[in-house]
Amino acid sequence: MARLLVQLKLRLLTNALRASRRAKVSFIISTTFAALVAIGTFLLLAALRGGSSPVAQTGAVFTVFAFGWLLVPLISFGLDATLDPATLALYPLRTRPLAVGLLAASATGAWPLANVIGLLGVTIGIAHGGAAIVVAILAVVLQVLFCIALARLVTTGLAGLLRSRRGTDLAAFAVIPLFVLYEAFTQVVPRLAAEGKITAATFDNLDRWLRWLPPGLAVHAIGDAAAGHVGTGVLRLALLAAIIVAIGWLWIRSLSRALVSVDTSTQASAVRGRPLPFPRAGVLGTVIGRYLIYQRREPSAIVRWCVLVVVMVAASVSTIRTPAYHVALYLSAVLAGGMLSLFNANWVGLTGPAFTLEASALTSRRVIRAYVAGRNLALAVIAVPVAVVVSFGLAAFAGHPLDGFLVLPVDLAAIGAGVALSSLYAVSMAYPAVKRVGSPIPNAADGHGGQQFAGTIGSLFGVPIVVLPVIFAVTLTGSVPSAVRWPVLALCAAGYGLTAAWGAGRWAAALAAARMPELCQVAASSKL
Amino acid sequence: MNEVAIAVHGLRKSFGAKQAVAGIDLEIAAGSFAGLVGPNGAGKTTSLSMMTGLLRPDGGKVVVHGLDVWADPAAAKAVTGVVPAEARLFDRLSGAELLEYAGRLRAMPATEARSRAAQLLDVLDLTDDAKRLVADYSTGMRKKAALGCALIHNPPVLFLDEPLEGVDPVSADVIRRLLTRFVSSGSTVLFSSHVMETVELVCDHVSIIDEGRIVATGTTDQVRGGKTLQQAFIDLVGARATGEEDLSWLGSLSN
Repeated sequence: MARLLVQLKLRLLTNALRASRRAKVSFIISTTFAALVAIGTFLLLAALRGGSSPVAQTGAVFTVFAFGWLLVPLISFGLDATLDPATLALYPLRTRPLAVGLLAASATGAWPLANVIGLLGVTIGIAHGGAAIVVAILAVVLQVLFCIALARLVTTGLAGLLRSRRGTDLAAFAVIPLFVLYEAFTQVVPRLAAEGKITAATFDNLDRWLRWLPPGLAVHAIGDAAAGHVGTGVLRLALLAAIIVAIGWLWIRSLSRALVSVDTSTQASAVRGRPLPFPRAGVLGTVIGRYLIYQRREPSAIVRWCVLVVVMVAASVSTIRTPAYHVALYLSAVLAGGMLSLFNANWVGLTGPAFTLEASALTSRRVIRAYVAGRNLALAVIAVPVAVVVSFGLAAFAGHPLDGFLVLPVDLAAIGAGVALSSLYAVSMAYPAVKRVGSPIPNAADGHGGQQFAGTIGSLFGVPIVVLPVIFAVTLTGSVPSAVRWPVLALCAAGYGLTAAWGAGRWAAALAAARMPELCQVAASSKL
Repeated sequence: MNEVAIAVHGLRKSFGAKQAVAGIDLEIAAGSFAGLVGPNGAGKTTSLSMMTGLLRPDGGKVVVHGLDVWADPAAAKAVTGVVPAEARLFDRLSGAELLEYAGRLRAMPATEARSRAAQLLDVLDLTDDAKRLVADYSTGMRKKAALGCALIHNPPVLFLDEPLEGVDPVSADVIRRLLTRFVSSGSTVLFSSHVMETVELVCDHVSIIDEGRIVATGTTDQVRGGKTLQQAFIDLVGARATGEEDLSWLGSLSN
């Protein structure tokens, strides 16, 4: 069964690659990144050899990887490529082969392979001797399996929550603790390291806790084997394997429940008989109205806005209480635009087959422009207040509430850039999105993960580039009196962001007009 | 009445090596209730998608209501209504909101869109469910809502892809009556189907498509040629089932 499903996954991947050149290009980009991650991790882990406490440091790296696996599928990266369990529901498959098969299929791909190769750096870093190397290879494979199983369990659980009306509200908040944990690992740790507070002793202290977590078990198994205690190492691996089995069992149970329960998030929710908003604003107002209603009624939209806020906060935590708090404030503002662009870089695919309804009504270039502008405005209408409130909150937390006025221009420019870039990405590299039983957020259809990856990278790097001039303007005008500086900067940045969004919107509309049939085909192959 | 509403010349489309539509010609007079019938995979949906500007053809020309669909897709869209095969709509709008949205997206004043939406929902027997989200609609209700969206701007030409597929007899009757009324006012309907009884009942013009080619076209009586449409269709397209002797293991008696 496992072999069959792995073959199926590979076949789906190659078929998708054969179908379009775009898919091929983006697959190459994504694979190149995976290879870089693999090489970087391998070198990092290998370099720990001979250090003061290599086992503890390796444990920290393994744990960070596990958290990455937990979070990345939630902000929808190209990593979460798995088979659609719903298509297997009709076959009389026993739980065990099904679970093993689905996990094996999940593990087939460039990113899991990159993880295995990268983490194998431990064979140089901490494994000494033949037995230790064998244990190390086993430990790495188990660690990656653990990561995959954990990621699947969390996404399936969250998807289950999202299918009920009350769960929808709950799930939005369930994401937050995960990001808080993430922040602890990726933000606080580098800060402490920069301050020289992290020494070998810190890792040893940390290790007292981490060694009992599954990634720690894997690393200590290698350490034990290298120290000559092969038996203890094998015991640790057995414990890790048992944990993987338990997680896999929990996952397949929640999955089989998900397969036979319905989405009740809309049930019996008669809406008030109010007409659509903005009756006098033409097509522009019509699109804004529809879009705003969707942001409220679509569970995944709510989750996305929550993730945006959490990312903004998490990115700033490390430096917010230090003299360099400005960096934190700017970073979080730029990320607001980046995440906005990332989440909306595929709005045609995410609109799904219903896009055909809109496309058949867009009867002139002018209407298409109004349509794109409506979407962009609706995004900005939500994003600007959210980002500004978070920025002022962070500034207050930093102890300099008035500095919120300095971040405001960056917020405005970043939102403008995010809106601008996402409208361009959406029409130039649209790909079908698929919402599956085991996933809370629609993901790229099989073989289109590369395009998703390109959109993600394009968003996270593109927005900072567009915003850079505004950050320069803010930092270089320190000598100007605040009464002049704040309003002028805010106005200029707002103008800059608006111009970017407006120009990109017009460009995107022209592209969309030329590619409308192709966009319709992409949207029609989305399954939401 | 003899004005041509839909004219198709040499329309073709290939997907890789497979030729889905191999050059079809079709002329449908204004005020016709025309059916496009054919087996699954014959190219019905592909043809209709190309006629409505949703799929770019490899070659050929489509003129709807005097407007070249591929020279000026936007203008042609203004005079057509489309009900796609899979009526995927905006699930998280209510029925009333959806129809209003479809109307206003076509630059209709909001009050006008709203009153037309209410009237259409009434005729389509959806008034009781107008405030429920489309996500909770059944297949038949979705088809009816999609039809409402396609009719709200009163297009002179309406294209429907399998409008009665998966629809219960009561809803099918509602849809049929609405379409008949629409046609009797001089508008044109072209719909695809593989249910011969329905086509025979409502269509005055039939075209049979098979393997991407039109194999027969004309008034329903001409195409029928004295037989039932079902028989004429099978004679033209040909019964394809062979090799049944190989299935000796199939069925309860074989065990």
